[in-house]
Amino acid sequence: MTLDSAAATRSIRRGRLLTLVALLGLAGLYVLAIQFTPTERFQGLAQKIFYVHPPAAYAMQLAFVVTGITSALYLWLRDPRLDAFAEASAEVAMWLGLIVVITGPIWGRPAWGVWWAWDPRLTFTLIELMVFAGYFALRTAVPEPEERAKFAAVVGITALVLVPFNHLTVYLFASQHPTPVVLDPSALGSPDAKLPPAMLRTFLTGMGVFTLFYLGFVMQRYGIGVRRLIREHDDAS
Amino acid sequence: MPPENGSYATAAYIIVAVVVTLYTVILWRRGRHP
Repeated sequence: MTLDSAAATRSIRRGRLLTLVALLGLAGLYVLAIQFTPTERFQGLAQKIFYVHPPAAYAMQLAFVVTGITSALYLWLRDPRLDAFAEASAEVAMWLGLIVVITGPIWGRPAWGVWWAWDPRLTFTLIELMVFAGYFALRTAVPEPEERAKFAAVVGITALVLVPFNHLTVYLFASQHPTPVVLDPSALGSPDAKLPPAMLRTFLTGMGVFTLFYLGFVMQRYGIGVRRLIREHDDAS
Repeated sequence: MPPENGSYATAAYIIVAVVVTLYTVILWRRGRHP
């Protein structure tokens, strides 16, 4: 067992610091988006949800991918820290997913005229979140740490399939949801398709802020998870 | 003239702030006891 209580505490402290920076960054992002970014011509002020909704979705998918990778590494190396990290990342993904599925309909109402549509991207995102709700139900159901980690890792690996498939839903199916406007290969070199610089700057700030939230949250949650594993190990011995 | 629909963005921004603050507080409390 290579679990270190002092390292867990360090991870929690660093995570807290990053989270505080992210919270300040979020305040800065709001000022940037409201005061220093032009209002979109057709959608009006509702388009400003663009600076939080896709960045939260990107951070959620990043969290799922990290869960998938660390789950696969756990099955290979059997290091309990990898399981703790996979669990931490999955929990953060659920919180970010909550932001995604709330801000999405709030944008959908003024942009599409409906709060929710059973569109491939929306439906698939919901499926992804349900799979990970199952991931936590499974973890709660198995008390033995090694068994729990092994079973959870198998579910965690499904993220590596679900995430790229979710990305492709807007290309594979007739979808209301827009395709990427920033990372769009077909837009390269076309001045019409590009996001205006002021909007791009705010969007990239949003991506940075949500990356910081992911890192801050996952480091704290990882430290908490390692402490729990140490307690379980001490109770068992 | 863009439509007057700022209340949607305001609601979204408030909800994002509430969710991240709530999770920050939850993690802070869970991380307090070694």
